[in-house]
Amino acid sequence: MNDGPAMPLIETGALRKVFRAVKRTPGAFGALRTLFTREFVERVAVEDVNLAIDAGELIGYIGPNGAGKSTTIKMLTGILVPTSGTIRVAGLVPWQARTKNARNIGVVFGQRSQLYWDLPLVESFELLRAIYNVPPDRYRENLAAFTELLEMKDFLATPVRQLSLGQRMRGDFAAAMLHDPPIVYLDEPTIGLDVVAKAAIRTFIAEINRERGTTFILTTHDLADVERLCRRIVLIDHGRVVYDGPTQRIKEQYGTHRTLIVTLCEGHATFEVQGAEVVARDGSTVRLRFDRATISADQLIRRVADANCITDVAIEEPDLESIIRRIYLEGYRDPAVLAPVVPAAT
Amino acid sequence: MTASATLAPYVEFARKAFSREATYRVDVFAEIGSLVVRVYLLRALWTALYAQNAAPSDLPLHAMITYATVALLMSLVLEVDGTRQIRDKVREGTIAIDLMRPISVPLSFFSDGFGRTLFHALVIVPSLLCALLLVRIDVPSLPTLALFAVAFAQGYVVNFLLNFLMNSVAFWTLETFAIQLMIRWVSDLLSGQIIPLSFFPGALGGAVGLLPFAAIYSTPLRIYVGQVAPSEIAPLLLGQTAWIVVFTLACALVWRVASRRIVLQGG
Repeated sequence: MNDGPAMPLIETGALRKVFRAVKRTPGAFGALRTLFTREFVERVAVEDVNLAIDAGELIGYIGPNGAGKSTTIKMLTGILVPTSGTIRVAGLVPWQARTKNARNIGVVFGQRSQLYWDLPLVESFELLRAIYNVPPDRYRENLAAFTELLEMKDFLATPVRQLSLGQRMRGDFAAAMLHDPPIVYLDEPTIGLDVVAKAAIRTFIAEINRERGTTFILTTHDLADVERLCRRIVLIDHGRVVYDGPTQRIKEQYGTHRTLIVTLCEGHATFEVQGAEVVARDGSTVRLRFDRATISADQLIRRVADANCITDVAIEEPDLESIIRRIYLEGYRDPAVLAPVVPAAT
Repeated sequence: MTASATLAPYVEFARKAFSREATYRVDVFAEIGSLVVRVYLLRALWTALYAQNAAPSDLPLHAMITYATVALLMSLVLEVDGTRQIRDKVREGTIAIDLMRPISVPLSFFSDGFGRTLFHALVIVPSLLCALLLVRIDVPSLPTLALFAVAFAQGYVVNFLLNFLMNSVAFWTLETFAIQLMIRWVSDLLSGQIIPLSFFPGALGGAVGLLPFAAIYSTPLRIYVGQVAPSEIAPLLLGQTAWIVVFTLACALVWRVASRRIVLQGG
């Protein structure tokens, strides 16, 4: 599979995808016109994506709606043909070797199931066993392992249409992994799940990644998933990779601001401190936003404590979600501020 | 990989389709009930029509009733459209999941349809028994029955391929219902399902016989009721085979183009 340490498992170069759609003219005559004269509108979904992903990595592939995430994944799975650029997944060009590539991958879509609606869950697994030609022993082992890890014993014989969303997702995860794929693409796998189900799915992903060395590419809007699971983030916007590096680093570089939460003694009405900005005040609790680059937490606390009577302090780090939200809203910053994009450290 | 491992997924597709179909048991009784009513109505209709007109020499009334009844029983199998899922899957975007599997997607549709067909073929037996309470149908000699079976099987494949082509239109327009309804009406009429093609006047009858639709119902039915001279049977069967070759090539081409220009719904 992997030809050596120098060769990444998944590699794309200047990957580009342009969709051509028929331009629709409004009105009945417009509809008639589109039957004969066709005008096309071009939409660039992926502009320039360069990725190098090693075996065993667990990557968070994130970006706002329409950024080109799903399009990239579809090209990696081989169901979309790139307009230009190169892709290699485990040594194969996915769209040229779609069925061969299919043996190397597993997919989980949060929004659509790969299970058979009318059949008991376990029968979908049997069908997948036949499709991927999984040896009987391996199938039994995997089914037993996943049934335990995902707690599926109680609903293996239930028709899929009667399963709850959480149960169905667990079934979908098992279905994607039965043939031991070295690469698994996850598209919004926790969408709509409750906290318990989310936690179960996250534990499962982390465990499979650790125990089996499976490479995961996780596409999601739930940044808590990414924060818990992924050491590396690839952030895409308008079809371009704007950040590719450790999750920790984007937090350090981008999230330089912190919030200091101060609880004041009774009777302190006014409050002001140099170097920080009051963002919220609720009774005796004040929230101060400050930039770590201009003032250290230590200095700020001393300043506040010198001028006020305080009973409690706490510092809040920005979570990934607030950082990413800022990047979505403001666009990505000057590369000088945000360190140049390099492949993840090996 | 061995041949059995290559075929295993498709056998499994057919088996799952069979058991899926079996989950809706009420449908089966409804199907038989509706069939019995239709057999009765057709007998009444053709008896009345024959009473008003001179019977054609090659198709007396009892042969006509046999024709109509067998056509109905055949429709139990031929109206199972295994390819309608192409339309649904393209529209819902789940075709993406099929394309991410190491299988031939058209072949998976065929085996799925075949599994469902097998289930409906079982329904033919009780339907036939019920129909026999109402009408008497002719039973041809064993060799003729065997030839009918061959023609029926080939007609089944032609029907699948035509449906496949029709449903593949979904890759381009997403909404294929109107087109399908139109083609279905035309095909019902021109395939010989409703009236024998020999009832079409002169040149029109000849032309209709040359269309692919005739291969679906008309060819096996004409063999069954003995409308075909023994010497004509071989060319008729070969004609069906020719349509199978032509449409298989067409389907392969359409699928090749379609799966490349796939529009995936819902991101």
